[in-house]
Amino acid sequence: MIKAVTLEFFKLRRKKIFLMITLFLGFEILWAFMSVSISLSRNPNSPVWESILTTTASMNGLFLPIICAIVSSRICDMENKGNTWKLLISSNMNRKSIYASKYLCSCTLLLYGIVLQAFAITVFGIVKSSTGMLPLSLITRFIGGAMLASMIILALQQWITLAIKNQAFALCFGMIGGFLGMTAYFFPETVRRIIIWSYYTELCPIKYHVTNGSLEFIKQNPGIGMLTTAFLLVIFFYMSGNYHFSRQEV
Amino acid sequence: MNTIVSTHNLSKYFNGICRVNEVNLTVYKGDIYGFLGPNGAGKSTTLKMLLGLVKPTKGDVIIFGKKFNKNRQSILSQTGSLIESPSYYGHLTGLENMRILQRLRNVSNKKVQEALHIVRLEKQQNKQVKHYSLGMKQRLGIAMALINFPKLLILDEPTNGLDPNGIREIRELIKSLPQRYGTTVLISTHLLSEIEQMATSVGIINDGKLLFQGDINLLKAKSKSYISIKTQNNKLAKKILLAEGYELKQNNDRLIFENLPDAHIAYLNKLLIGQGIDVIRIEEHRKSLEDIFLELTGRERSL
Ligand SMILES: Nc1ncnc2c1ncn2[C@@H]1O[C@H](COP(=O)(O)OP(=O)(O)OP(=O)(O)O)[C@@H](O)[C@H]1O
Ligand SMILES: [Mg+2]
Repeated sequence: MIKAVTLEFFKLRRKKIFLMITLFLGFEILWAFMSVSISLSRNPNSPVWESILTTTASMNGLFLPIICAIVSSRICDMENKGNTWKLLISSNMNRKSIYASKYLCSCTLLLYGIVLQAFAITVFGIVKSSTGMLPLSLITRFIGGAMLASMIILALQQWITLAIKNQAFALCFGMIGGFLGMTAYFFPETVRRIIIWSYYTELCPIKYHVTNGSLEFIKQNPGIGMLTTAFLLVIFFYMSGNYHFSRQEV
Repeated sequence: MNTIVSTHNLSKYFNGICRVNEVNLTVYKGDIYGFLGPNGAGKSTTLKMLLGLVKPTKGDVIIFGKKFNKNRQSILSQTGSLIESPSYYGHLTGLENMRILQRLRNVSNKKVQEALHIVRLEKQQNKQVKHYSLGMKQRLGIAMALINFPKLLILDEPTNGLDPNGIREIRELIKSLPQRYGTTVLISTHLLSEIEQMATSVGIINDGKLLFQGDINLLKAKSKSYISIKTQNNKLAKKILLAEGYELKQNNDRLIFENLPDAHIAYLNKLLIGQGIDVIRIEEHRKSLEDIFLELTGRERSL
C-alpha cells in the first residue's frame, strides 16, 4: 500500500501541487493574520491564540473545501487525460488499491497544508502574545479537527471526481461547499450537522460567540456523537465512492 | 496446457445490444494470432474482456489454463497489453512513464532500458510524453506492454499512427517475439495485409460473431487459384469435358476449373477446338485473402 501511495506522489511530479497548496493557504493565512491583527489592535485585551485559531478555522471552511476539490481532481483527472486507467488495471493493480492510494495521497497533501497552517499560526501566536505560552493541545486539536473535516470532504470529492468525468462539476461542487462552509454560522445547529463543510468550525477546539455585542471565546469539545458522525461520514463517502468506482468499466 | 487463451461463449451487451456474440477464441502457445475485423466489429471489446477491463455479460475467459475471474493477479502478472489508444502521463517523461510501470511490475532497470531500446525510444526517453508524436506515443505504449517480457502479449491495433518504416519495424519485432522470449501474441487489426505478413493463426470477427478461426494456411488455402474458360458453346463444351472426366462448375458464361495443371489446360483447349468449339478466353483467377475476408464479413466497403 505504501508503495502505491508513493507511486501516486511520483506521478504528481511537475504538477506543482505542493506549490499550489502552499500559495493558496499562504494567501488564506495572510488574510487571517491581517484580520486578527486589526481586531487585536482594536481590542488589545482579546486573547491572541483563541482569535487566530477561530479565525483560521472559519476561513478554512471556505478555503479547504476548494483545495480538497482541486487536489482530488488533479490526482484523479491525470488518469483520464492519458487514458491510464486501463494501463493501471491491466498491470495488475486492482481498483480498490488504486482508489485507496489516491485517497491516502490526497489526505497526505491536505495534512501537509494543515500542518503548514498550524506552524504559521504558532509563529504568529508566539510573536503576538505577551505570555509566550504555547497552547500545544489546542493546536494539535485544531490540526486533528481540520484534518477530520478534510477527510470527509476528500472522500466525497473523490467519489464525485471519479463518477463524473467532467471536472468542472467536481470543482464547482467544491466551491459551493466552500461557500456553505463559510456561511455555516447562519444556519441552526441541526442543519449545520448535515453541511459537512461547516465541520471545520464545528471540530475546532475553540469557537466564538457574540453576546451583547461583545466577542466571547468558548472552548468546545466535540462530543462522541459529533466525532462518530464525522467518522461515519468518512466511511460512508469512501465506501460509496469505492463501490461506484469498482463497478465502472474502462 | 498448450492453449494460452480460450474463451467460451464470451458475450457482451452494451445497453441491451449484443456487441460480442458467443465468441470462442483459442490461442495456442507460440502463436501470433491475428484478430481481424472491420471497424466496430467488437475486437477491442473482446480484448478488454480478456484483460478484465470490461466485464463479460456472459461466458468465461480462460488464460494459461486458469479462469480469469479467480486468478486475475497471476494471469495479469504474465500478460502485457496495449489497448486502443496508448496510455501515458503526458506531464512525465518517457522514462518516468516506464518507471511507473517498472514499480507496478517489479522489474529491473535493465528490462526498462531493453524495452526502450527495442522500440527505439532511448534517445527520446527524457522528453515529456505530451511532446511526443503519435508514433512515439504508440512506441512507448508497446514498450510499456513489453516491460516484463510477458508470456502473453495482447496488442490492439499496435501500428496505429506509425509510418511505413515503423510498421515494418514493429512487425519484425512482433514476429521475433515467440522465438526470442517465448511470447504468445494476440494482435488485433483491421489491416489484412498486416496479418498476412506475420500471423500464424487468424480469427475473423464481424458484428460480434467469430466467423472463422484457424491456421492462416487454412485461410490461404481458400485463396487457391482457379481457371475459368469461356467458349462459344458452353453447353456443348461442358458435355464434352464432363465426359472426359473433368470436374467443373458453370458460373454465368464461364466454366470454372479448380486444380487444373497447365498440361491439362493445353489439352482441353486443343480438345475443344478439335470439336469445333471456339475458345474465347482462358483466365487464371486468384481469390485474395481480401476477397475471402469480404466474403466472410459480407462487406464491400473499405476495411
Ligand atoms: N462502452 C461502450 N458503450 C456502448 N457501446 C460500446 C462501448 N464500447 C464499445 N461499444 C460498441 O461496441 C461495438 C464494438 O466496439 P469495439 O471497440 O469493440 O470495435 P472494434 O472492433 O475494436 O473497432 P475498431 O476497429 O474501430 O477499433 C461498437 O459498435 C461500439 O459502438
Ligand atoms: Mg478497436
